[in-house]
Amino acid sequence: MINIDLGATAISVLTLFGIYALMSISLNLEYGVAGVPNFGQALFVSIGAYVAGVTYTRLLPLLAGMESVHPCGPTMGQALQLRSEIMATQPVAGFINLALTLVIAAILSGAVGFAVSYVTLRLKEEWFLALVLLVGGETVRIVVRGADDLICSHNGISSVAQPFYFLDDVQMSSILFMLLALALALIAYLYSQRLTHSPYGRMLKGLRENEEVTRGLGKGISLARAQIMLIGSAIAAIGGVLFALNTGFVNTNDYVVTLTLDVWVMVVLGGIGNNRGALLGAALIAIMDRVTQVAAIALNMSGSPIEFNYVRFIAFGIILLLMLRYRPAGLLPESRLTTIAHETAKRLTPGKTI
Amino acid sequence: MPLLQLFNLRKDFGGLRAVDDVSLEVATGAIVGLIGPNGSGKSTLLNLIAGSAERTAGRIIFDGDEISGLSADQVFQRGIARGYQDPSLYLKMTTLDNALLPVKSQRGEHPWYAPWRRFWQKQEAENARAAAGVLEQVQLLGHYDSLASDLSGGQMKLLEMGRSLMGSPKLLLLDEPTAGVAPNLAYEIFEEISRLRQQHGITFLIVEHRLEILFDFVDSVYVMHLGNLLAHGSADDIASNETVREVYFGD
Ligand SMILES: Nc1ncnc2c1ncn2[C@@H]1O[C@H](COP(=O)(O)OP(=O)(O)OP(=O)(O)O)[C@@H](O)[C@H]1O
Ligand SMILES: [Mg+2]
Repeated sequence: MINIDLGATAISVLTLFGIYALMSISLNLEYGVAGVPNFGQALFVSIGAYVAGVTYTRLLPLLAGMESVHPCGPTMGQALQLRSEIMATQPVAGFINLALTLVIAAILSGAVGFAVSYVTLRLKEEWFLALVLLVGGETVRIVVRGADDLICSHNGISSVAQPFYFLDDVQMSSILFMLLALALALIAYLYSQRLTHSPYGRMLKGLRENEEVTRGLGKGISLARAQIMLIGSAIAAIGGVLFALNTGFVNTNDYVVTLTLDVWVMVVLGGIGNNRGALLGAALIAIMDRVTQVAAIALNMSGSPIEFNYVRFIAFGIILLLMLRYRPAGLLPESRLTTIAHETAKRLTPGKTI
Repeated sequence: MPLLQLFNLRKDFGGLRAVDDVSLEVATGAIVGLIGPNGSGKSTLLNLIAGSAERTAGRIIFDGDEISGLSADQVFQRGIARGYQDPSLYLKMTTLDNALLPVKSQRGEHPWYAPWRRFWQKQEAENARAAAGVLEQVQLLGHYDSLASDLSGGQMKLLEMGRSLMGSPKLLLLDEPTAGVAPNLAYEIFEEISRLRQQHGITFLIVEHRLEILFDFVDSVYVMHLGNLLAHGSADDIASNETVREVYFGD
């Protein structure tokens, strides 16, 4: 039988939930609210991870006042050791490095999202953007993998570390990291709730429902869309930084199209256009990740040749089909906008007619 | 000076000339009808004025400024709002949100301000009061909280008109405002149009197939046929014009 450490499982599932929530909230803003079909989610997540790979190997030693070691090739072990030493003895440098990583990742990814959508959405219809991002994401991944020096091509970088690495208590360290992931997810959630339930959210939903009419009602839609792509891409990259720190390495193989599809499953499952739905979707997928993992191990031990990934893909496929068939709006369908306007109108309405 | 002037406006779709050198004027405060058989280019002409289609040639002067070449959102900002021939409401939004969306210069529409309610809350409440006023005028205030998809066909047309008004336009272009509406309600819609002109000084250019109603309300009528302007005159002139009767009524 397999022994399951419940405490550790809970921590890892909750951490994963926080990270997934950042990604699903990002896609829900872009697609659920604004109707921009971003099929490049993996690209924006990976930008965060790559930035982490670079900052933890180049910036961190600088912040700690040490000479950096090239993280690839023969000096790889040395670089890893240097990182461990700094993270264990200079937590402040670690924190500053993390803060800078998050900021740089968000800005870089946001800029890419803004630029890509501004250029493509001005020219072609929205599905063109989906295609550009799908293909572009994969292209960037292959290019990054080919660039030997950046994150050590095929080998990836394992010199990233969680910020509470300096604690002796490993479990406490992962609990604090979990809390960090949950806190960032909570901030992203509150922020996107406020965006959604505002005149800006109203305009975005208008774009989603009818682009031509919304333009005809005076809204400059290219800019509005580019702005939501900026915001969404920045949030996705923050998720990407945490994703890399959580797995403990940066490897381009983690940012393939299946990651994009995972995020889509979260949003479709939870409820398109509903931020709470995005959270629910992220939670369910985080749990399912774990369950299928355990199930796959059990399968393996019982001598079955079926692999973990297959179990997962089959389960996801079935979920998507069932959702599309029985609950196309997701588990938590979109809720109405709530701004102060409805209270105001209510006060002015004499008696509601039926 | 007229509010709207078109000079030799032309629109080609490939080899098809949908609008052929049309020149016309709409006087400030007037209700002007635009009629013609199916496919004569009426909707296309409205699209050109509203900036949602690009003209092949010609000039559009609005309120003393040339607006040819502006995009649809810019044209709206200048003071031209439009209704659509096909239903165009945001069906998943409430009546109130439909009315609020077109309001110009909303601070809360800026993504950097949107999350901080105190920047826009007050303006939103003011806009909601204005919207309530407009909804009351089109008899929809009681339905402010209903989803647009739950309104009847006539109510939808009224909401579309009310929504256009929220952008405080000087000129309202309407494309068959009574399509799919019961005859008595259709008449009410035109009475509403007439009231809006009186109370707010809004100018109207209206495409309409129900001539018996349209002719009761218009100051003048333009007739289009195969992309060309065929005639212009008062409702009575047009009703008795031989050529118009030939192409339009087929007699
Ligand atoms: N986007 C387009 N592409 C190609 N042809 C078009 C396009 N829009 C309109 N047309 C053509 O232009 C001509 C004028 O169409 P338009 O819709 O302006 O007519 P209309 O007078 O509004 O007719 P109706 O009374 O039926 O609404 C028609 O022959 C139509 O097929
Ligand atoms: Mg038409």
